[in-house]
Amino acid sequence: MSDDHSPEYYKKKFIPLIYLVGGILIAGTIITFAADLMGVFKDFTHAMIFALTVAVVKASAVIYIFMHLKWDINLKTISLTLGCTVIFLIGMMVLTVGSEIDANKPGHAENTWNHVDKPEPTVKPDK
Amino acid sequence: METTTQSETEQNEHGDDHGHGHAEQSFLTKYIFSTDHKVIGIQYGIGSLVFLLIGFILIMGMRWQMAKPDTPVPVLGPILEKVYAHEIALDGEGKTVPIFKDGKITASGYNQFGAMHGTIMVFLAIVPLGFAAFGNYVVPLQIGAPDMCFPRVNMASFWAFFAGCIVMTVSFFIPGGAAQAGWTSYSPLASVIPTDGQSYWLVGMVLLITSSLLGAVNFIATIIQLRAPGMTWFRLPFFVWAQFVTAFLLLLAFPPLEAAGIMQLMDRVCDTSFFLPSGVFAAGTEPMNVSGGGSPLLWQHLFWFLGHPEVYVLILPAIGMVTEILSNNTRRPIWGYKLMVGGVLVLGFLSFIVWAHHMYLTGMSSKIATFFQTTTMIISIPSVILLTCLFMSLWRGAIRFNTPSMFALAFLPMFGIGGLTGLPLGFNFTDLHLHDSYYVIAHFHYVVAPGTIFALFAGLYYWFPKMTGRRMSEYWGKVHFWGSLIFMNIIFMPMFIQGFAGMSRRMSDGGATYSMINNPDVTSGALTDSIMNMNSLITMGAFGMGLVQVVFIVNFFWSIRNGEKADGDNPWKATTLEWQTPTPPPHGNFLTEPKVYHGPYEYSNPDVDNGEDFLAQNDPHKSTSEDIREAQA
Amino acid sequence: MEIPYYDKERPDTGLYNGKAGIWLFLASEVMLFGALFSAYVLLRVGAEPGTWSMGLMNQWVGAFNTLILIASSATIVMAWVCLKLNDWKGFRKWKWATVVFAFIFLAVKWSYEWPAKFTHYDVTFATNESASKVFTDVLGENFEDQQKSIWERRYDPTKEHAGGVDLKDRPLDGHIVAYIDSNNVEHSIDEAWGIPFWSHAFAWRHDRKNIEKEKDKSIRYDKDGRPVYKQGHYRDTFRDKDIKAIIIVPAHGTWDRESSGDKHASRATVKYAEAKHDGNHANSDAHEHHRITIAREDISRLSSYEPAHSTFFATYYTLTGLHALHVLGGILVMLYHLLPVSRRVYEKNPVQFTNRIEITGLFWHFVDLVWIFLFPILYLF
Repeated sequence: MSDDHSPEYYKKKFIPLIYLVGGILIAGTIITFAADLMGVFKDFTHAMIFALTVAVVKASAVIYIFMHLKWDINLKTISLTLGCTVIFLIGMMVLTVGSEIDANKPGHAENTWNHVDKPEPTVKPDK
Repeated sequence: METTTQSETEQNEHGDDHGHGHAEQSFLTKYIFSTDHKVIGIQYGIGSLVFLLIGFILIMGMRWQMAKPDTPVPVLGPILEKVYAHEIALDGEGKTVPIFKDGKITASGYNQFGAMHGTIMVFLAIVPLGFAAFGNYVVPLQIGAPDMCFPRVNMASFWAFFAGCIVMTVSFFIPGGAAQAGWTSYSPLASVIPTDGQSYWLVGMVLLITSSLLGAVNFIATIIQLRAPGMTWFRLPFFVWAQFVTAFLLLLAFPPLEAAGIMQLMDRVCDTSFFLPSGVFAAGTEPMNVSGGGSPLLWQHLFWFLGHPEVYVLILPAIGMVTEILSNNTRRPIWGYKLMVGGVLVLGFLSFIVWAHHMYLTGMSSKIATFFQTTTMIISIPSVILLTCLFMSLWRGAIRFNTPSMFALAFLPMFGIGGLTGLPLGFNFTDLHLHDSYYVIAHFHYVVAPGTIFALFAGLYYWFPKMTGRRMSEYWGKVHFWGSLIFMNIIFMPMFIQGFAGMSRRMSDGGATYSMINNPDVTSGALTDSIMNMNSLITMGAFGMGLVQVVFIVNFFWSIRNGEKADGDNPWKATTLEWQTPTPPPHGNFLTEPKVYHGPYEYSNPDVDNGEDFLAQNDPHKSTSEDIREAQA
Repeated sequence: MEIPYYDKERPDTGLYNGKAGIWLFLASEVMLFGALFSAYVLLRVGAEPGTWSMGLMNQWVGAFNTLILIASSATIVMAWVCLKLNDWKGFRKWKWATVVFAFIFLAVKWSYEWPAKFTHYDVTFATNESASKVFTDVLGENFEDQQKSIWERRYDPTKEHAGGVDLKDRPLDGHIVAYIDSNNVEHSIDEAWGIPFWSHAFAWRHDRKNIEKEKDKSIRYDKDGRPVYKQGHYRDTFRDKDIKAIIIVPAHGTWDRESSGDKHASRATVKYAEAKHDGNHANSDAHEHHRITIAREDISRLSSYEPAHSTFFATYYTLTGLHALHVLGGILVMLYHLLPVSRRVYEKNPVQFTNRIEITGLFWHFVDLVWIFLFPILYLF
């Protein structure tokens, strides 16, 4: 942590926070797992949104409390570095996956320069 | 001599004071397993210069093959035949032949030379020389730090680089030879190629990337944490800014390639199909025994996510060095220092979202292509800002035409040609015609060869007195410069024309087969004789270029012991901190902690009465005009 | 001059050197794992129907390991707080707890989870007729519904690919217990191989396409008829060992003939047999198992759950393997901090030692963070 707190602060404030975050993490894991076991989500997109939301909540708790970013967030070095990293990461994922999805879209072939020889996407025949 | 002796004595006197507590170091810890950033910088420098030469020898072999296809290579041939005694299968008939039969370069050998020329030049020569060697030696000195932030991590970085170099070198001598899939290692070719060279390449790359990551962490932490008192962000020399941005590019762009390298290694070793689509064919008539379902484009995305920032990793340290040298040799401040800093930051940021302009031919949709085309055009703006500022800095300067400044001056138009010829490649519609032609080769070599390498030469001539206490010979330096400038242009200028004429960059016989030169009946679609004859011209240029570099090598080694002694610790009368410490700098760099009072480019300031035309950064003399400027900012 | 700010914070940045370094390092790690995540998403989006074999994972092991890693993340921050409170004994207690948790994590993964997969085989069939013959042998005459539900659960849980794939492309899974060579001699796997499961995975591979490959002239063969280069892509256990047929025990709990469809309604209750068996079937209750003999001609592809099995397993092993290497690195650093010498380091400069523990903790939390994302995308959904 950026500023040194008194021992009292650690005992009274920080240790309870650790237990709280531990509880959040365990609860999040159990919720996700239970949703999977009970088959709550039939559809991939909703399942992914749910799972990643819970994961992001868990991850934020870890970053904010366990990695004590809560107390360090005003340090420009850390916040700018993390900010840039997150932006580049999202850029990489969105553009990479986006170009792949876009290129595979049925009926999309005429938008690309090589539409002449593009074969039809192969789909296995129904049984 | 007096200066050197004096500083050595001072170093010994202060040996106990600087606090590291190891006054006596054995040869091994002082020069081999050293944690001193200066020694590590020199280690990097020697290693990368050796690989610069090796990479150049490889291209000379390739140029011979292009100019005179299927004739034995003069000097290299017999050696190659001995070294490359192992055989490789040729497709179709199951026959095996030596890679270098009768001293001739076969297609496989040409592919190996091509792949390794690119890899060695980019990852083993120029990045280690520009970023690691000069960065290690100069950056801590320029910011007034005693060493890098994490000296042992620094050493680990060098030894990871060394291990990577060993793996890459060894790959030439394994059965089947080195990697053959080009420096970009596109899958599925790279995944299914039957020789082991590609696996060695991947292991080598993982080591080199690890080295770069450790180095990048160290550079950024050093620049953030260890700036001397008074060294505010806008008092940093521009070279430090360039290294700072370069380190960030390496830090965030290299890991995706490491991930991709691991995946391709899995493809090759564990037979997975990350980059192999279903039903892929390789060297046969049946689909391969792989699960399939992979995406070859995934490799290209991850590769170019590094690949494009890598361009700026190559060029930014060079621009930084040119800035330092030009400012010093024009004896006037850099025009638009803050503009340049802003430009370099924007450049670094944007370089992460332009990568797919290397991939227009992969059939991406016009939406995505338009996005990348737009960002590519936008990123040319900060590049132009940097170049314009440097040109403006020359205006009304009293330019000293010594060797480093001539190399730095030549950098500007050469880099300009390289940059401007890149614009047609950034547009989707023109790139479709020019892609994979010699035009592309000429474009990026103008950026890297007469661009970055000239700047690196300038840096070598400029900081040589700091490292050794002696100057390199001016006369032979100028011979080196004029020779290099002329031959560089003889080599690369005709390639633009060849590229426009449609010569592909992948032809191992220089286009002889493609142009149907041996079949006079066929005329359509062939390359004309004048285009083909340029191959010989370029090859002659390349050999002339090699001859001129001999001058440099001799000059370099001769000057270490016999060069003219530099007058004092600050022979160039420079302002930055590395010249305000003894030559060579002692362990711990500075005898007392430097205090910084001024910006980096206080040349010819009429307000200063210290009897010189420059004001060192740690000179306590007042400069009223600078104070006013800082107050205004 | 000495390197400043190695223990105390630099006033204008608020950081000591190590902390700046570790955050930068973690930023690069984010990009490393982020690139692999991108690869995962891209491959999954582009996967052909019935090839994303995620339903084969054992979620219980994954959930257990998640809780273990969460616990270790909490204990390591407790260790650091103890040092802040000058509680040396508390520090050692929590630190040891972290090491133990981390070790359990690795033990579960490397001695149980992976080996169980390496000994577990998928067989797909040459024709629909041969598939039908084998499934009848396994499940009885009316195998259709049960077989289809098993396949959907594993390869198509969201039923996006209605109709599915051909019967011959729906795998039967189980453990290979023996093979029959061309002289009709039966060899038990143990006596024939006698090798641990690690190499087991790479020893058994067959693809029908390889039968034609034997005459492929573009590949060099040595005097024993093995390809010289890049063996993996052309390796074939059946050809190399001259195998005529294999004897396989279908995975217990999945392919039980008497089980009804209702029993398998929930995915969790029907995980394949790895929870109950290891590779050595002779010692388990294998006698009750149905031994199925499948001839070489009927098999189109045989592969264990190794990386080459499918793109899903390729990403699974790469992601978890890289993550496990990080765990291993963390264990080594933590053990270094638990050496007796650390007490002297601590007394010499308590601030510096506490900082080191903080940095280790930051790294360890990142490892935990990666797993938080890995668990749902690799095991659950």
